[in-house]
Amino acid sequence: MGEMTTALQASLDRLLDSPGVTGVALVDAVTGLTYATAGDIAEAGDGPEVSEFATLIAERLGAAGADGELESVVTTTTKRHHVLFSVARPGGDPLILAAGLDRDRVNMALALRSLGDRASEVLA
Amino acid sequence: MAPTARNVPALLQGLRAEGFSGTVRVSGLPGGAIHLRNGLVGAIETPGAPTATSALLTSGRIGDEDWLAACAAEPDADRLAGHLVAEGLIGAAELEVVCTAAVFDAAFAMALSPPGSWELSDREPALVAEPGVEPRQLTEETSRRMTLLSRLWGPPGELTRVRPAPVAGAGPRGSDGWLARRHRDVLDSVNGRRTPRDIAFALGRGLYAVMLDLIRMEALHLVQWETRTTADGRPSTAPRVPQAGATTAAPAPTPVPAAPDAAPLPKRRPGGVSPAQDVGQQKKGGW
Repeated sequence: MGEMTTALQASLDRLLDSPGVTGVALVDAVTGLTYATAGDIAEAGDGPEVSEFATLIAERLGAAGADGELESVVTTTTKRHHVLFSVARPGGDPLILAAGLDRDRVNMALALRSLGDRASEVLA
Repeated sequence: MAPTARNVPALLQGLRAEGFSGTVRVSGLPGGAIHLRNGLVGAIETPGAPTATSALLTSGRIGDEDWLAACAAEPDADRLAGHLVAEGLIGAAELEVVCTAAVFDAAFAMALSPPGSWELSDREPALVAEPGVEPRQLTEETSRRMTLLSRLWGPPGELTRVRPAPVAGAGPRGSDGWLARRHRDVLDSVNGRRTPRDIAFALGRGLYAVMLDLIRMEALHLVQWETRTTADGRPSTAPRVPQAGATTAAPAPTPVPAAPDAAPLPKRRPGGVSPAQDVGQQKKGGW
């Protein structure tokens, strides 16, 4: 959005410190608008696609009888993981933190836990 | 330079190159005021969409009293954001998200109908996103939204005039237990008389977000359009929910169903905010 480092940008930049995280993006879960990115943007994923994907999964899960709202989605290929986290927010439309992870460099369980914890701090 | 720009995006692009700080007033329906800081779009105020202030207050993220106190303590609205954060009323990143979302939503709302003329004026204080949005990014996103709505539904301008109503006995498989909260809120707001814009203002949400939710909810058979089949989509009177059963059977087991229904409805002539021509044929990105 500009050259100045904002609170949001700083928040996302910090996520790149986690081992194996190659790119992150904070996306509006409804509109698909990307509010900020850090690292490799392509790794984090395209905003509209991310939101559409998460919405579709939430809907299908709901239709299948799952209770509660979607918390995360993990997609794994032979080389990488792509993770979507719901970001807790006091009000307003939900947000998604999208992260690309290098599969050779992360322990998935640890990375999920760490990113999941930190997703809630992105808006702090 | 400014008077020769062929449309608003071109104007903003020129003002970006100049690093202009000030306000662009665009006439038209809905029209609006675009607040620029160093060439970046910090805020847009338009009757077509809720502002960041409206989003913050309607959602209850900042209480009315806290808000008034903050405005009294920091009369320059440009510096209000910093004050709100310093006072601990909202996180800096959260406020950035709210302000940015409002800018994109207002640009979208203004693009729904052809703009009139514009004039430049000095800086007018506004609650602005820091550092602001690149005009090019704003134009691209607005085009994307128009294109997506056209594909999903039809002419976006026409979507501003529909008055969705709850489907009688709605609720997927007889229960709305898995519906996202925002969908339940929308469902509680639709009544066959409110337009998407009315719903957006009532909930303090973006107009585009509400439109997307309504389209999705129609596909899920939770809401239905009231005016789609009307000749030109502009009924002379607000259509009613077909029968009383529709409201009593509405899938809203919440204990306060009366509140939204009992609230006074916006006093506005149907279609009064939209021009007569078909705004859906507007040139791509030509807001």
